[in-house]
This record gives sequence, structure tokens and C-alpha cells, in this order.
Amino acid sequence: MLELKNITKKFDGKLILDKINLKIENGEIVSMLGPSGSGKTTLLNIILGITTMDSGSIIFNDVDISKVSMKERGFNIVFQDYALFPNLNAYKNIVYGLKNKSNLASREEIEGLIDFLELKPHIYKKIQALSGGQKQRVALARTLATKPKILLLDEPLSALDGVIKETIKQRIKDITREYKLTTIIVTHDPEEALTMADKVLIIDKGKISQYGTPKEVVHQPKNSFVEEFILRQLKIKRDNIYNLFGESYV
Amino acid sequence: MYRKKIETKIIFIIVTLFFIAFLFTPLIVLLINSLNSGNGIGFSNYYSVVHNSEFLTAIGNSLKVSIITAVITTVLAFILAYAVNCTKIFSPIKNMIKIGISIPMLLPTITYGFVIIYSFGKQGLLTKFFGRELFEIYGFNGLLTGYVMYTLPSAFLLINNSFEYIDKKFIIVSKLMGDNFFRSFINTIFRPLIGTLGGAFVLSFILSFTDFGIPASVGGTYSVISTQLYEVMLGSIPNFNGGAAIAILMLIPAVFGVLFLNYLERFNFNYDKFTKIELCKNKFRDISFAVVSVSTVIGIMLIFLVMFIAPFVKNYPYDMSFTSKLFKDTLLSRDILDVYENSFLVAIISAIIGTVTCYIAAIINARSNLNKKVKLTMDIFSMITNTVPGMVLGLAYLMLFNKSDLKGTFTIIIICNIVHFFTTPYLMAKNSLSKMNPAWETTGELMGDSWFKTIIRVIIPNSISTIVEMFGYYFINSMVTISAIIFLVSARTSVLTSKINELQHFQQFNEVFVLSILIFSTNICIKLGTDLVNKKIVNHK
Repeated sequence: MLELKNITKKFDGKLILDKINLKIENGEIVSMLGPSGSGKTTLLNIILGITTMDSGSIIFNDVDISKVSMKERGFNIVFQDYALFPNLNAYKNIVYGLKNKSNLASREEIEGLIDFLELKPHIYKKIQALSGGQKQRVALARTLATKPKILLLDEPLSALDGVIKETIKQRIKDITREYKLTTIIVTHDPEEALTMADKVLIIDKGKISQYGTPKEVVHQPKNSFVEEFILRQLKIKRDNIYNLFGESYV
Repeated sequence: MYRKKIETKIIFIIVTLFFIAFLFTPLIVLLINSLNSGNGIGFSNYYSVVHNSEFLTAIGNSLKVSIITAVITTVLAFILAYAVNCTKIFSPIKNMIKIGISIPMLLPTITYGFVIIYSFGKQGLLTKFFGRELFEIYGFNGLLTGYVMYTLPSAFLLINNSFEYIDKKFIIVSKLMGDNFFRSFINTIFRPLIGTLGGAFVLSFILSFTDFGIPASVGGTYSVISTQLYEVMLGSIPNFNGGAAIAILMLIPAVFGVLFLNYLERFNFNYDKFTKIELCKNKFRDISFAVVSVSTVIGIMLIFLVMFIAPFVKNYPYDMSFTSKLFKDTLLSRDILDVYENSFLVAIISAIIGTVTCYIAAIINARSNLNKKVKLTMDIFSMITNTVPGMVLGLAYLMLFNKSDLKGTFTIIIICNIVHFFTTPYLMAKNSLSKMNPAWETTGELMGDSWFKTIIRVIIPNSISTIVEMFGYYFINSMVTISAIIFLVSARTSVLTSKINELQHFQQFNEVFVLSILIFSTNICIKLGTDLVNKKIVNHK
């Protein structure tokens, strides 16, 4: 279980995160949802260990890891722009971490991962030759190959176009089930947040606005922010789609 | 946790110590020397320099010839860049202009002077061709010709580069709006380029003002500041303190020049993304620009032609029958080969260590989490090295290290080259590194890399073509420089350019050309080599 206690962060005197308290169970998918500037990316970076917090603590499986370095925490992230290394091909990117710790994953495990993400035909391609969706999957594979204790995804779908978005969404869900991975997804898109996660953490101006299952968020919005900014958007989308397909689909 | 990377801190300290030792300390010593006279600290050296009519003439001459050079070079470079970018001249001709104009950069400036003498002198190749002497070469005319040839490539590259970032669609828009030629030219070409044109002017001025090679060869009795400095320092009665004062005075226009360049930067236009567009047809425009630019390039090449003829004939210009004897004899004399070896060694070591120095300085600036002041320090080093003329730097070294073990060693020449040419490769590296994905180091660390390992496995492989270019720049410039090292070479560490300077005193001009050909061919090889490597890298990608 990952537990955040009273996490506070200021940048140049401006309060970015204000006493964040949160518990995430092992194997859960949690999405962090909020408008840009809400502090969600800062929170992600604090969990990962790039950014320092001003006060508060992080407990992982009953151990205080607040002072543990990013490298020692054993979490891993897929960045929004993937940060794949263009001097290496897809395969070499995936096994990059194994060059440092060869006992991290066996050959079969890597093969399994490649198969699972359907990357076999692209494995020897240059990064520049891959499509957006393929890059996303290579980046996922590279991160998963290090067997992270928690998987962090920063806006995983934002660089992808329509059709591929839905398949990647499903793929991410499948992976976390398959590998029983605790996963934290940062997004600014309510639809993504509510359809991918077991729990949704809505952040507004550095504070937790609501934390609950997607159903709870939709049916029992806690405050006007959730209602106005999260639900209204979804309702407009829903109505547009109903209009397109006709009422019979309701 | 969250420690700032200890590796980058160590590198920062090393780089900073290097510049304190080899840039700031020498300059401070130079300044102290300039203030130091027989009777204590004061401005008496400056007083005597400024009240010396000989020196005043020299500085007046320097200003005059440099300003006129800067005007001519800027106009000419603009015409050439316009021809390459804004006309529909046949593209092989454009390429010929681009390549032809940059060839002189592979030669030391001291050679420029000698090819001018051999082309335009009484028995010169071009004099024969035209049937009469075109102008009196020694003095003002020779200097002007040499300086224009010397500064044209740099000015052209600068303007050409800016031209590529001008949105040519505005030319069409302006035409559609009914502008006449003049108004259209001012609004779509001149105004966007004004910062760069100013930059080209300042650059040409500083280069001419501080050059030593051209006046050393073709200056004659027309004295300029750099030859004055040389004479004061290495003449029959060396005057260290007086020399220091001249060097500081030489630094002043350079400082103003660099400040002015920074000021001009705000005039540069920033167009949003733009796409290429077909230019309008205009036969008259194309033909006239083609004629001017092609004749400029051919003119420059013709001037250099003599360099490849004189050493291969029996007795230039009287007996023009071919012989390779002189070339072979010169080449095979033990002395010349040693000097060549020295030059090559100095250039290659300067290039390797210089590239590493610039690269790690750029890493601190572009890819570390050290604070802003630390990053700014690197930019300041780059700006100061850009400001200090080679001769001033060399003189400062001479004063600081004269009594140390470094005196008369290759080490001091190499260090001088590294500091002198720091700016351009540093900016190349910084530019390339700052364009890379900022998350690579974090990703590497999450994958179990140490910081250093990520640099080796990811950062360097992704900037290899820039590194190759940096190496080429350092090598070629170390090979052709004379101004910075002229005060530092000893009999044991003599390099090709200083040897040329020496040979001219013995009137051995053929040998001068043989050495120039050696420098030229070595640089061509390095240039082609680096281009080839980079082409391979690009294809590989």
C-alpha cells in the first residue's frame, strides 16, 4: 500500500500542493485528474522521487520512503513524450535496464512482454520509424521490463490519435491486471480518468477535490468543481454521442 | 536523497578552475602589467602609448582599414547570400558559391598576404594577366584586399544562416500588396536582416582589427595596431608594459563589438513556422546576381591560384616550366617535416581536449540541475573567450607563464587554442544538447544507470554528429591560427604558421606556399573526413 501523508509543496512561495493525504492499495489503478496547473504532475514527480516535498511523508508497504532516492524507490514512469533513446532500436530500448541488472528479468519474460504488447514485428525498427502507438508500447515495455513496484503514467494517451487511443487504453488495463501492478495515471481528460481507473483522484488548486471510484464521482459529486468541470464535460460528450446514434442506444 | 548530481558539480568546478587559471588570471596579469611602470602603479604606460604619434597613426590606420573592410564585406556577403537564397540561380552554381566562398577559411591569414603579393605584385600572376599592376599592394590596398577575403566567409555564413530563417512568403505578399521593388526589399529582406547585417559588420571589423597574419605579410610600412604590438613585444627592445597597454587598448573595440552584437540580437525577427515557397521568376535579377557572386568567388580563387603554381615551376615568374623538385626538397627537409608534425600534433590535441571541454561545459549549461547562476557562468566564459582577441590572449599567457615550466611547451599552445576557440563549439554543443528530450537522464537513472553511464550510452551517441563538427572546427582553426600563438612558440615548438612568419623574413616565399599547401591539404582532408563521417551517421539513422 502506498500512503501519502500531509504532502505540501511550494514553488517560489506559491502553494502547489496543500496537505495531500491519500492511500492507494496494491494492484489498484488510480488516475489523477485535474486541470493544468492543479498540481497533479508535481504530485506524480514527488511520488517518483524527482521533486522534493517541503513537508509530509510517503509510506510504501509500511516503510517510510520519504528520504529514499528515486533510483532506490523502485518505481518507474512512462513519460508523456516517452523519452525513448533514438540512438537505439526498439529492442535495445526495451532491454536498456537489463544491461545494468541482467537478473532483473529472464529472456522468456522479455519475450512474453514483447508478445503481449504485440511488438514482435517492430522490434528491430529505429525509434523514428515507429508510429505513436508503437512508441507508446515500446516505452511501456521498457518500463515494465524493470519490474517497477509502482507504474506511473504521465498523460499516456495525449500524444495518440483517436482509434489507437482506445486500444492502448485497454492494453494498459490488461497489463496492470496481468502483472498486478499498482498504477498511477495522470491525465487532464475526465473520460480517460473515469474509464481507466479503479479510483479517481480529482485535484484542484493543490487540494484533493474528491477521491473515490468512478461511480462515486459520477453519482455523488462532492462539490461544485467536480460537477462543473468534470461532469458537465462528460455530459456534453454523452449528449453529442446520443444525438449521433439516436435515442435508441440509450 | 535529491542530491544535486555530484558528478556535474565536480565537472563544474574543474571547468571553472580551468578558466580561472587560463582566462581570468592571464587577463588580470596583463592588466596589472599595463598599469605597472618603472615608478609604481598608474596610467603612465597608457599615457606614453597614447602620446606616441607612431602608435596613434597605427590605431588610426587600423580603424580606417577595418571599417572600410567591414562595409565592403557586409555588402558583398549580403549580395552573395541574396544570390543563394532569393534568386532562382541554377542550384549547382549556388552550391559552387557556398563552397567556394568558404575555402579560404582553410588557410592561415598570413598566406592571404603572400598570395596577394604573388598575384598583384610587380611580377604577379594576375598582374601579368592584366598586363599592368592594378594597385599598389603594400599597405592599405593589400590590407583591404586581404581583410575582405578573410572576413567574407564568416560574414557570408552568418547572413546566409539568417536568410534561411526569413519567411520568403512575405516577398510574395508584399508584391501582391502592390509594393514597388524598393519598398518590398526594405520590408521583406532588409528589415528582418538588419540585426544580422549589423552583426556581420561588427564581426568583420573585429576580425580585421585584431588580425596579425595579413599585416605581417602585406602591411609594408603601413603600420596597424597588431604589428605595433608585435614589434613592441618582440622587437629589438621589448617593452612588456607598453605591450600590455596596447593589448588592453586592442581589447576595448572588441568589448564594444561584442556588447553591440548582443544589443543587435533584439532586432532579429522571429517568424513562426513557415513553409518553403516558390520564388517569382526574374531573369534580370538572377543574371545580375549570378554575375556578381560568381565573379567574386572566381576572383578569390584566382588570387589563391598562384599558391599552387609558384612552388611547382623552376623559377617563378621567369621560368614557368614545371618541376616538383622544389616542392619535394622543401617537404623532405627534416626541419619542415618536424614543424608539420608539431602543427598536426597541436591541432589534433587541441581538437580532442577542446571538444571535450566545450562539451562538458555545455552539459553543465544544458543538462544539469545545477542552479541558474552556475549555468550562466558557462555562458559568461563563452562570451569572454569570444571577446578576447587571439593576440591579447597570447600576450597575456606570455606574461603569466613566462617564468613557469609551461613556457615554450606545446601544452601552453594547446591550452591557448582551447580557450581562444571555445565559443563556437560550445554554442554548437549547447544548441544540440538543449534540443534533446529533458527526461533522458531521469529515464536512464530509473533503468539503473549512473549519471555518467547515461551520458555515455544515450547523450553522446545522440549528439555524435555535433561532436564531429566541433572537432573539425577546433582542428582547422588550430591549424591556421597565428595571432594567438605567435607570442608562445619557441624554436622547439614552432608550428607551420609561425614558420611561415619566419620564412618571410628570409624571403623564402616558395617555401611559404609549400607550407600553406600542407596546411590546406590537411584541412581539406579533415573537412571532407568530418563531412563523410556525418553523412554516414545521418544515413545510418
